[in-house]
Amino acid sequence: MKYEKPLPEPDGDSRPFWDGCREHQLRFQKCKECDHVRWPPSIICPRCYSQETDWIVAKGKGKVFTYVIYHQAFHPAFKEDLPYVVAVIELEEGPHLLSNIVGCPHDRLRCDMPVEVSWEDVTEEISLPKFRPVG
Amino acid sequence: MVISFGHSGLSSGAMRQLLLGRGGEKAVFGHFGAGSDYALAARRAMHTFRTGPETWKHIAVGERKWANLNPRAMKHREAMTFDDYYRAPWVVDPFRLYDNCLITDGGRAMVVTSAERARDLKQPPVLIMGMGQHNPSSETAQATYMTGPTGAKRAVEMAFHMAGITLDDIDACQIYDCFTYTVEITLQDYGFFGPGEGEDWFRDGKIEPGGRMPVNTSGGLLSEVYFMGLTPLSEAAMQLMGRCGERQLGPATNTKAPNIMLCNDNGGSLQSHSCFILRRA
Repeated sequence: MKYEKPLPEPDGDSRPFWDGCREHQLRFQKCKECDHVRWPPSIICPRCYSQETDWIVAKGKGKVFTYVIYHQAFHPAFKEDLPYVVAVIELEEGPHLLSNIVGCPHDRLRCDMPVEVSWEDVTEEISLPKFRPVG
Repeated sequence: MVISFGHSGLSSGAMRQLLLGRGGEKAVFGHFGAGSDYALAARRAMHTFRTGPETWKHIAVGERKWANLNPRAMKHREAMTFDDYYRAPWVVDPFRLYDNCLITDGGRAMVVTSAERARDLKQPPVLIMGMGQHNPSSETAQATYMTGPTGAKRAVEMAFHMAGITLDDIDACQIYDCFTYTVEITLQDYGFFGPGEGEDWFRDGKIEPGGRMPVNTSGGLLSEVYFMGLTPLSEAAMQLMGRCGERQLGPATNTKAPNIMLCNDNGGSLQSHSCFILRRA
């Protein structure tokens, strides 16, 4: 079945992240000067302005910083998913990642609940990091 | 100088396009629009201090009562009760329909000039006592200030300093109200109440006609019209000029006749904040 939802369009900054996703790895930039792990990708560290950067692989564990439940489809391809959850995940390494929570009854959702990454291979090139409750 | 805003936001679909187009890769996860970003902030606030629909219903219903007195308001003829608020459909939970502002065709303009040149103009002038701006700027998902203090706190400190007054001198407020929570967090950051005290503060019609601290006396973005920051700013000027008819602050609405008013605008998703203190000449 054809995937009808919007897909990421990897660019010079974000390609290493999306390439990592394809291998089911969450890759983030880590500043060599101040150790700040950042998202979204950028050529300079937003904290200390250094351009010296490493890429690290995050463990894929974190907690729900905040979440919302969509009851209206702003794009037709999401209609079949209603109601669905969009959340900001606070990863153990620090970055906040916007994603979806899957596999959790909506009345059990809580801010700060522990979650882990759950991969969805949506096309041959693209895998999306989604999150589900731990345990 | 003329400050103007005009938009066929509703009939042309332009506002919808503007909002749907700005999300970038967030659309990959089904995240669209502005309300959803504010809803993320509001949910975190519900976790951090006591707030939620029990607080926001007072804002939605209170502003609607002002709109019912304003013949220019899109919602002039539609009353709203707390039951109506709760019965309205969810849009992006924790926001129901009436937590969201309107989309409007139309425009509004204001003239800003020196006090000297304003003296012999047709309308009574309103003076700018103070202004402040603070822009914390982080993209929504990375922001940790969404539950306060937002840019509102430092902006209002600058404005009060310039004006040489305090919160106690404010007679009424015109607050940028893209969503109900925006009003709560702005007034909270301004210092009207502490975190989580909003539900008690708003109770008993505090911001409504007859209330002790009128807020958004045109109906605001929620119930009058969406003209961005010109909805609150123009209403503040019109009230201080005494040009508001049935909704005029003072004896007509059993409220204090205003001398000094606080109004503001914010941009992005609580990413930028400007506030103004205006007074009657």
